[in-house]
Amino acid sequence: MGQFVQFAINGLMAGAIYALIAVGIVSVYKATKVVNFAHGYLIMFGAYFYFTFAVIVPGQPWAPTWLASWQPAWMIEMKGDLPMFSPVAAVLDWVANLPRILLGLAGALVCNAILGRIIERVLMRPLMGQSIFAMIMVTVGLISILSGAAQLIWTADAASVPYIAPNMPIRFELFGTMIFLFGTDLVNMFVALLLFGGIVAFVKFTKGGIAIRATAEDQSTAYSMGISVPKVFSRAWVLASTTGAIAGAILATRNGISPSLGLFGFSVLAIVLMGGLDSYVGVLIAAMVVGVLEAMTQWKMGGGWAEIVPYVTVLVVLVWRPHGLMGQKEVERI
Amino acid sequence: MINANLKSTYAADERVLNNRYKQAFVYAMIAALALFTAFGNDYLILIASQMGILLIAVVGINILTGYTGLVSLGHGAFVAIGAYAVTIFGNLGAGVIPAGLMPFISVPLAVALAAAVGVLVGLPSLRVKGLYLAVATLAANFIVIFLIEEDLFAPWTGGMVGINTNVPNLLGWELDTKREMFGLIAVVGLVSLLAAQNLIRTRVGRAFIAIRDRDYSAEILGISLLRYKLMSFALSAAYCGLAGALFAYFYARILPEQFELALSLNLVAALIIGGMGRTMGPVFGVIIVVMVPELIKVLFGALAGDSAGAGQLRAPLQQIAFGVLLVLFLLKEPLGINQIVDRILRAANRWPFARG
Repeated sequence: MGQFVQFAINGLMAGAIYALIAVGIVSVYKATKVVNFAHGYLIMFGAYFYFTFAVIVPGQPWAPTWLASWQPAWMIEMKGDLPMFSPVAAVLDWVANLPRILLGLAGALVCNAILGRIIERVLMRPLMGQSIFAMIMVTVGLISILSGAAQLIWTADAASVPYIAPNMPIRFELFGTMIFLFGTDLVNMFVALLLFGGIVAFVKFTKGGIAIRATAEDQSTAYSMGISVPKVFSRAWVLASTTGAIAGAILATRNGISPSLGLFGFSVLAIVLMGGLDSYVGVLIAAMVVGVLEAMTQWKMGGGWAEIVPYVTVLVVLVWRPHGLMGQKEVERI
Repeated sequence: MINANLKSTYAADERVLNNRYKQAFVYAMIAALALFTAFGNDYLILIASQMGILLIAVVGINILTGYTGLVSLGHGAFVAIGAYAVTIFGNLGAGVIPAGLMPFISVPLAVALAAAVGVLVGLPSLRVKGLYLAVATLAANFIVIFLIEEDLFAPWTGGMVGINTNVPNLLGWELDTKREMFGLIAVVGLVSLLAAQNLIRTRVGRAFIAIRDRDYSAEILGISLLRYKLMSFALSAAYCGLAGALFAYFYARILPEQFELALSLNLVAALIIGGMGRTMGPVFGVIIVVMVPELIKVLFGALAGDSAGAGQLRAPLQQIAFGVLLVLFLLKEPLGINQIVDRILRAANRWPFARG
């Protein structure tokens, strides 16, 4: 039972990150009706940007030393007589890294926002009004461009990146078994869920969000009501690429940085379809379910089988409910 | 090319190659391929063989995407199934079936297996369309590759490290050189291209086109969507299985990673670049998709020599070139090279009168 709870919690934590990635795909779909196959590669760029600003830039000779490792006098004093592996030491380590973590996050956000805007402007805008097939295929072409570009730009071997939150182990007993968690994973989960909630609230309540929903409902009507549809498009892409930047930074700390980060996009795409392309709630549920199922598979059948869990579940769900768990059924006219 | 094309019987109008230009083109191609097989240089034979194998798979995906209008991003899986099935049948039946008959049994079996899996993967197509189907096929691709790599099946598939393939033996004729293999690939490729051209002239092919244009309307006209969508999936998977079988015979060793998503995207990209729903589309597309990375390789070799840094740059550049090509064609010429060629031929035909 304790083991079960441990794996369930691991699964929920992974699911929250899936949800954060998924929110980017759903936002773009809601506004532009384009399913972004290359979203995973946007995330990979986010991860690499985080790596650049949190590791490479502070490592340069011209960078101030406090950027790489902030060591004020009071911290050295506090650190002096701490035992090994104490939570306070973990927090202090994190504080020392804080400047470069913040720089990394800020850099990743800004660069990814620019990237998202460029993609929208150069590739998606000329295709407005074209067939959906063409738009989807453009994002497929984008996969090759982005993954090739990443290999071209970041040729250096990726080092480890600083955790976003203090990485102290948390242990407690539940149902007679020790549950073992890392602080950073918990914080990642809260950040992901908070962002998810924030975006849902943004789309639901703010003026910009209502514009997105109106465009989703009917583009030409939205136009005639004075909503600038191109602006909505670029807003959606920027939203997707910035959430992707945060997700990328989190994934970089969890899984390390490599070009294969892009593959995450495909399993998340499966999750999005499972939840229903235009439903935030459905996607959240699907992300959590897949996260937990993956953890359970890992526990019972080994890590390899966990890889294909999203794909198998999406096939099952699509045959059972073609528009996902909570997706809106399209009405088609002949 | 419609002038001087008088037809006085229905039979003449219904022929596979319904005008003289097409017939002349096909005969010229046969002659050119025969000469090339005999005298082409080894490097060109190698490139042409790659094109031929890819061509058969793209012709298959053209039936599904170009004619039936169902998007698939997972056809690499069927190529994998064809390649592995031919190798595994070949190994299992090594002592039982005489070597000279082996390809005549294992290739049809592999093609049939690919078609059967195609029907299975196509099942969601009855309920979902467009991008849902794209993701469903994508998922199928990941699952098939995973199963091939899985330890459980490693005794047959060789797992992650791949498996050595057999040399095909057609009734005692061992095709152990690339040139002989190219001969086989050229014949199979030509036949499959003509078969696809024939298909769209038949009742089945027209049903496919009707489904592409509007599936509900097609159903009202009495076309069973269940039957024809699955048939389209089975046919395209069978083509890909055949391509896979030739792939396995052509290379000495096959690895699961050769059939991953990159291959599926390659197939779709070749189709889009060449022109969807046209017989010659796959041919043009395959030529571009194989030649562009090859040209980059040659250019790099000339510019940078064999230094290690150049090698590191080459693969990403090839990838970027591929993506840029796909995007450019979608933005500028969504109907592909076939459309450009059509335009040129039309202009040549009307010269010196109005172009257009």
